[in-house]
Amino acid sequence: MTLFHFFNCAILTFGPHAVYYSATPLSEYDTLGTSVKAALVYLGTALVKLVCLATFLKVSENDSFDPYQELLHALIGFIDVAGLYFALTQLTHRNISQNHKFQAVGLGWAFADSVLHRLAPLWVGSRGLEFTWDYILQGLEANANLVFSISLAALGSLMWLRKNKPKTLIPIIYACAGIVATMPSITSYLRRGLGWHFPKVVGFELFTSLMMAFISLQLFSACQRPSS
Amino acid sequence: MLNFENRDPTSESKYQIHEKKLIKNVLVELERLLIYANIPYPVYFAFEDDDIDAVLADVKRNDASGQPATATTGSYKLVVSGPEPKRIASPTITNIQGWLPGLKADGDLNQLPTIAIVASYDTFGTAPALSVGSDSNGSGIVALLEIARLFSLLYSNPKTRGRYNLLFGLTSGGPYNYNGTHKWLRSFDQRLRESIDYAICLNSIGSWDNKLWIHVSKPPENAFIKQIFEGFSTVAEELGIEVGLKHKKINISNPRVAWEHEQFSRLRVTAATLTELSAPPELLESTGGLSDSRHFVNEDAIVRSIKLVAESIARHVYGYQGKNIQIFADDTSLAVNAPYIRSWLDILSQTPRVAPFLSKNDPFVMALKKELQAHTHEVNVQHEVLDEMFTIYDLTKAKLNIYQVASVTFDLLLLLVLGSYLITLFTFLVITTRGLDDLISLFRRPPSRKVKAV
Repeated sequence: MTLFHFFNCAILTFGPHAVYYSATPLSEYDTLGTSVKAALVYLGTALVKLVCLATFLKVSENDSFDPYQELLHALIGFIDVAGLYFALTQLTHRNISQNHKFQAVGLGWAFADSVLHRLAPLWVGSRGLEFTWDYILQGLEANANLVFSISLAALGSLMWLRKNKPKTLIPIIYACAGIVATMPSITSYLRRGLGWHFPKVVGFELFTSLMMAFISLQLFSACQRPSS
Repeated sequence: MLNFENRDPTSESKYQIHEKKLIKNVLVELERLLIYANIPYPVYFAFEDDDIDAVLADVKRNDASGQPATATTGSYKLVVSGPEPKRIASPTITNIQGWLPGLKADGDLNQLPTIAIVASYDTFGTAPALSVGSDSNGSGIVALLEIARLFSLLYSNPKTRGRYNLLFGLTSGGPYNYNGTHKWLRSFDQRLRESIDYAICLNSIGSWDNKLWIHVSKPPENAFIKQIFEGFSTVAEELGIEVGLKHKKINISNPRVAWEHEQFSRLRVTAATLTELSAPPELLESTGGLSDSRHFVNEDAIVRSIKLVAESIARHVYGYQGKNIQIFADDTSLAVNAPYIRSWLDILSQTPRVAPFLSKNDPFVMALKKELQAHTHEVNVQHEVLDEMFTIYDLTKAKLNIYQVASVTFDLLLLLVLGSYLITLFTFLVITTRGLDDLISLFRRPPSRKVKAV
């Protein structure tokens, strides 16, 4: 729908990442390097996932929900978590606080995800004449994804980087991390198994992302109290 | 509106027939309007389906409510991609003739008399790619081919070969005052032209109920005309058909040629046109346009017409005028072949045949030639250039894309919304992570410089 619409959808999809970077103290501490490294780790993870999917998954003809295939899909999705672990713990970062580390990693992760999954369809599709709501919804999905990535990075940093955690909170942390990690499987179940339409799915994603962000914020601040 | 299901023609109710006639009349009116109107924009014809119906309903609803189009309702953009239409410089018309020689007795030096059966095969309409002309003149072509087939059976055996040559002509340029016939006749050898006893031109014989017309240019009192008409009437009576005779004088100074036989008459060859039309059509009328589709043609009518023509000619050839004999009787080896007629009619109803768009080696023209070759002894193809009556442009078919588009205002609004969203996000993040003071400090210029200037 012309270049104007493409521009609009692009700023909806990629704008929040830039805004997040510039608005929060991330820009003051110049954590761009961390984000870039996280993005590269995401690329590597995506490649590994692709190879695994191609090897283990069957191509289904119809769009129905196959539990066995979805389980396999979810298991392969955990490679994502492994990648995030690698990015958080194994990479050498400049001396930045944990607070900012997980934010930078989450931001880089989400940005790479958006570019990989959404830039090509946006460029090819939204410049045509026919108008669809799809690309706007895709942009909203990218926003939800950003929140999810940052929450997951926060929970991940809590799990692997923080040594002294209150005992009671540990299972909650792991449970929340589990939910966020399996988000893709949940959305695909909603779309195929229950037959939800795209707008409904995107609405659900936005809502859950805000919820999860709130919960992880509470958990993070709860874990922060003993050490501060 | 134009929804033709595959109805069995024999079980049609009166209401359905009436409905068909109404649709046909509307299409004829529409075509006449479009041909003569001066329209400054292109008109496209498309077949109805669910998607187009949805688009039309949407546009109508929007028009009725009077609201301006929003992103999701009503605003459509129609795009046709393709080259600019070019003028066709010298359109060719192709005439095909088939010759069945008669039986010459040994020692007979005189030229045998000839009977000609002619039909024009091309069409014209506002939408050339849809002008299939099932009745005008698909019915004529099919009848000619079948008559050729029947007589070739008779003429294959010297014992049953008649003492008349038979000349079959498939002419082009019909809608343009029978230009092709004119050129075809001018190419004839003088002796051949003089040997023609009479010519029968077939035009629109596919959708009549019980009356056919024979149109002539020579006055009805003329001996030849009387003989021909009586021959046809006798056979018609036996078949239960009513045949009427209509006389129209030709005016040499008037360029308009309404019937094909008039081209013969201008060269003093006795000729008549057999047709279901009672009045001569105007220029570009009844030329096989939009309304002339397969649904309006009745095979049975064509079969009966073939019987009429073949029988009348055969009786003339073999000298059985007035005798009660059926040469092409049903259930014999010389019976009229209905499946043959049906299959040719079906093919013709799917082939648009507007002459300027038929190239010299057009596959359909070649197919007609091949078919005539199967039934006649010698086939000749004549290529001519169509006389400049109209300026014709190519491009009969195009791909029309209909897009549902959102207006620019929608995108502007979206930009506004997104801008405010990003700004709110920015302020929210700054306030929560750096504090309100930081946000205010972004906008306040350092005051020290101002003081210094004063």
